[in-house]
Amino acid sequence: MRPAPAAALLFGLAAAALLARHTASVAALAAVLLVVCLRAPVSRRWPYLIGSLGSASALFVLTPFVERLPGTVFWSGPTIPVVGTLDVTSTELSGALFNACRLAAVSLAFSAYALWLDHDRLVQAAGFARRSVLAVALATRLVPALERDAAGLVEALRGRGVEPEGIRGRARLLSPLLAGSLERSLSLAEAMEARGFGRPDATRLPQPRWGLREPLALAGAALAVVVGVLWL
Amino acid sequence: MALARAESLSFAYPGSTVPALRDVSVGLTPGEVTLVLGCSGSGKSTLLRAFAGLVPHFHGGRFSGRVELAGLDTRRHGPAQLAGTVATLFQDPEDQVVFTRVLNEVAFGLENVGTPPQEIEARALAALASVGAEHLSGRLVAELSGGELQRVCLAATLALEPRLLLLDEPTSQLDPEGAKALLELALRLARERGTAVLLSEQRPALPLELCDRVLLLDDGRLTFDGPVGRARAWLEEHHPLFVSAGGDVGVHLHHFGEVTSRLDGVSYAYEDHLLVLDDASLELRRGEIVALVGPNGSGKTTLAKLAAGLLEPQSGRVDRRGRATYLSQDPGRYVLRERADEEVSVGVHGDLAAASRALAAVGLAGHEARHPRDLSSGERERLALAAVLAPEPDLLVLDEPTRGVDPERKHELAVLLRANRRRATLVVTHDEAFARAVADRIVSLALDRELVHA
Repeated sequence: MRPAPAAALLFGLAAAALLARHTASVAALAAVLLVVCLRAPVSRRWPYLIGSLGSASALFVLTPFVERLPGTVFWSGPTIPVVGTLDVTSTELSGALFNACRLAAVSLAFSAYALWLDHDRLVQAAGFARRSVLAVALATRLVPALERDAAGLVEALRGRGVEPEGIRGRARLLSPLLAGSLERSLSLAEAMEARGFGRPDATRLPQPRWGLREPLALAGAALAVVVGVLWL
Repeated sequence: MALARAESLSFAYPGSTVPALRDVSVGLTPGEVTLVLGCSGSGKSTLLRAFAGLVPHFHGGRFSGRVELAGLDTRRHGPAQLAGTVATLFQDPEDQVVFTRVLNEVAFGLENVGTPPQEIEARALAALASVGAEHLSGRLVAELSGGELQRVCLAATLALEPRLLLLDEPTSQLDPEGAKALLELALRLARERGTAVLLSEQRPALPLELCDRVLLLDDGRLTFDGPVGRARAWLEEHHPLFVSAGGDVGVHLHHFGEVTSRLDGVSYAYEDHLLVLDDASLELRRGEIVALVGPNGSGKTTLAKLAAGLLEPQSGRVDRRGRATYLSQDPGRYVLRERADEEVSVGVHGDLAAASRALAAVGLAGHEARHPRDLSSGERERLALAAVLAPEPDLLVLDEPTRGVDPERKHELAVLLRANRRRATLVVTHDEAFARAVADRIVSLALDRELVHA
């Protein structure tokens, strides 16, 4: 399948997850997207899965402590200044589960986009806003680039005989990682400008015609949104 | 008639009080290959960027004088407008790749300059064929070796059929054979097409054989401009290390101390199960400097990491005595702290006095309070070297420490390494002249993983 309709299909599924009102429906969408992501090679999929499922789990754990909704109280904790009394109720838990499933579904849709789609062809297929599409494609490549840079930083540290230990040790690498990625993006921007990026008279490689699967995927994307609004 | 000309060009980067170029005047003629030499920070890359219009349009800064390319004044025409007339091959291919597939990558520049759509694929394939990389057209860029990727980047520049080709240290990541092949290919194609070439290189021996004319920049000033024959004599007199094989760094020793690292029949394969090392053995003794050489992909870095303890072998055994430190390739990229002395003190539990001593040893005394990212690329490399010297290791492993380093700095590095004989030193390098100058023993790793000791 060509990347543009595939991207539209993933966008449709993510939109359906955002529009759906039932936890089971959102969880089912997240499960489908998880299966899609799990079919990617292990070495590529793990940062995406950790990011998606980790952030969803964090949302599930934190939401009951910051929300104040009535319901059966499962746990009551200390009173914190400004926040008030900490407690966990049944309504808070079900709301947290719903939002966590939503976040998981949307981030897994992005992960599937990053893992499976041919971003070159997506950029080539962009009939308009090509510069924006290219920016998105380059941003998508940020995850593997950051992964490589993080490995390089850890190696630089270990090369000096220091092991980065624990969450705090690794968290200290975030700032240099960000600074390094900004430097890398400047080099890329320079190379792109030197190759004429941004000229108004740009053309593009001719695109092959669509087959049967492409319009079907587009229809599926629209259907997912409608079903999300009406029934899920 | 000059195709490109710089007249009284001076330029300083934003925030810098020191000009990168001072009153440089030079003309470039079609079909002529011009080699620009100079120490790190002498302004070579800046001169190339000025001809591409990237200076001042991309970098900003203070610009005076005039640069003209094919009748276009670069003050009024930005790099995107000049693209096609001029094309640049940068030092690090990974930093210039936009697309994930080879064909798309080569086609990118053609699309930008408005090539008719029906011609783009044919021209991209022809450019790949001209550099012997047509078979790579369907491959993913991430799957290519360093040499293959640099060829693809060269194809992307040649596809534009530029009138001026700028090559900014294009062979720094390649082994000698790969570097020779790439340079010969680029310069042959340029001559066939009547393209003017401006080439910057830190390993001048081969380019001096291939170029027509030499420029030498010293602290931003053009101190020599002449034909290659006269250049050799001038360099021998004023910069002998540019034309000699590393210079005198003292006697080579033959008797060494205890073993600090012993690799016995080690094998290693990465996740893709490709065996990188198979049954390799190596012994490193205190006081000894060993150079590990071999082509790209022969497993030199893997062997070095095994020796330093950054990797564990899947079979065989590694015995180490004392502390090992390892300087990775392109270390200037991996900066951890916000002051130079703090960066160096990471490996010595924050001991700033030890960090200052290490900084002084690599010629960075007085730079303690500077932010590492404000240092020049050459200074950053030395900062990283200080960071692995500060712990006073029993085994020092350096992976390509001369990449992007000028001959005079290489000589200083060789002297620095040979001054301390209390440790074992393993130097992974493509630079054969440096290996011969610095090492007591050269170990060659072949593509068939066989270790040859010399």
